[in-house]
Amino acid sequence: MNSIRLFGIETEYGIAREDVETADPVVESMELVRAYLDGHFTRRWDYQGEHPHEDQRGFRVTELAQDKEEDLFAEQDAHRPFSFHEMKSDLVLPNGARFYNDHTHPEYSTPECRSLKDMVAHDRAGERILWIAAQRRNKVLGGPMVQLYKNNTDFHGHSYGCHDNYLVSRTLNFENLARGLMPFLVSRQLIAGAGKVGREAQERGFVPGGFQLSQRADFMETELGVDTMHNRPILNTRDEPHANRERYRRLHLIVGDANMCEYATALKIGTTRVVLDMIAGGLLPPCELDSPVQAIQALSRDPELNTLVKRKTGGMISGLDIQREYLNLARKFFIEMDEETNWILCEWEHVLDLLERDRLQLVGKIDWVTKWWLLETFSQAEAVGWDDPWLASLDLEYHNLDPDRSLFFGLEAEGRTTPLCQEQEIQKAMKHGPLDTRGGLRGLCVQRFEKDITSIQWEGVHFRGQNGGLHLDLLDHLEPVSVAQCRSVIEDAETPFDMMEAMVLKNS
Amino acid sequence: MKNKYAYIQTGGGLERKEQPIDPLSKPSGPGDQESGPKRPETDSPSRDNLMKRMRKVDPKQAEKYRQRTGE
Repeated sequence: MNSIRLFGIETEYGIAREDVETADPVVESMELVRAYLDGHFTRRWDYQGEHPHEDQRGFRVTELAQDKEEDLFAEQDAHRPFSFHEMKSDLVLPNGARFYNDHTHPEYSTPECRSLKDMVAHDRAGERILWIAAQRRNKVLGGPMVQLYKNNTDFHGHSYGCHDNYLVSRTLNFENLARGLMPFLVSRQLIAGAGKVGREAQERGFVPGGFQLSQRADFMETELGVDTMHNRPILNTRDEPHANRERYRRLHLIVGDANMCEYATALKIGTTRVVLDMIAGGLLPPCELDSPVQAIQALSRDPELNTLVKRKTGGMISGLDIQREYLNLARKFFIEMDEETNWILCEWEHVLDLLERDRLQLVGKIDWVTKWWLLETFSQAEAVGWDDPWLASLDLEYHNLDPDRSLFFGLEAEGRTTPLCQEQEIQKAMKHGPLDTRGGLRGLCVQRFEKDITSIQWEGVHFRGQNGGLHLDLLDHLEPVSVAQCRSVIEDAETPFDMMEAMVLKNS
Repeated sequence: MKNKYAYIQTGGGLERKEQPIDPLSKPSGPGDQESGPKRPETDSPSRDNLMKRMRKVDPKQAEKYRQRTGE
């Protein structure tokens, strides 16, 4: 079984200027990120660890579907008075998170987490950090001009992602991984969908009316693929492990929605982790689907959950039954389990049960149910149809980060959501990384030696010094024991030089 | 009714979830503490501020909202 449990979430936020007809999205996103800085921006992020053309299936593509569009944008961006690095404004925060402008969206990547509790706290910490940045930016602008949205669509056919990432063993055959995960991912939206009014197609506009489970299902165009911006796959094959390539893969899932409900975030990550553990233990999928892309869209567009999709071997199956079959396998697979796994299996069963018999009990826990309940109530009270543009606007406002405007935060303030972490845990996660992952080590380096850092990325930190400087390699600090040892050395050192000397002594 | 699943693992074991948090992070007083999550009041949001909040939303807001494609 895969004993290393590390996961993280990258969220691209939507950003809008409400005081002008058209705003420059590059400048807005860049200024938003920089508003979080106390001082000047210093270029530190090292892009050498990024390999978006490498494919898990053992080859490298020469071109991504988005390359031409990106080249066009790069041409436009070249006329701006900013360098590439200035536009990206890549920051690594004292909690080990990365915060930057990614394709005109402010993106917050949590530090690596080992527990669901930390994962949820760091996801929420990201929302708070973005909101602080927006408040500071708005102070400069003189009013609440900038609004941020933790969602995945602009209702005009443009989607942006919320990616969940998992470290898995390289010994796990990728074909088995894909086969084992596909039906689970197609149906995961039942528990983790954020809900959406209307339908969309990639850059081909919006059709109002109706409600579906997922924001992203409309944008899934293929089963497997390395692309992320066009021709999006249910299972992304990018091979960029950010760990020892010989030993690990990073599963980079782009199919998911950004969740507002903490409970949905925990179940999304938790159930996926459980399925990955089972695949690592030799699980064969409980079913295979004839057409996963059609299935993910068909399931999304039926909030009644009655739709059946075709099995590869003949016969039909519902989304609920796909999820139940995985859960039943998990019940047999995990004979002795830790408390977190027990929580995941119990809650998974609880949600599937309530989706069938009394789904309104999931208001405040599952985003699509919560959003549907709010909008249905409004639709009835105001006598507006689901095809009224007002409903799409309410959908958008569900995800607003402004606590005075957000429908989700309005619900939360009234005590109708199910939080999983305490306020002080969120506050702590805004300042410190997890104690048991290299994300915390990265953050600690920023806290202690920021001015000495010349470059930084997921796998290591480089400090200024003689003969090319000093390099702290985080590649193999994946186990808690190794993380704790490294942490104690960083905490005790006065300078990066002392730290590296102590590391050498410890390892000799 | 007490929900038997209303716990999540922490470093020190299982911990009861705290009650919903004000996103503005105002400190909560002792009177705000309740035990465990409660069944959502799913009758209607109309009797509280949520309906007011929803009515304030600009019906054209989604039409005006434009983003570039991201990942």
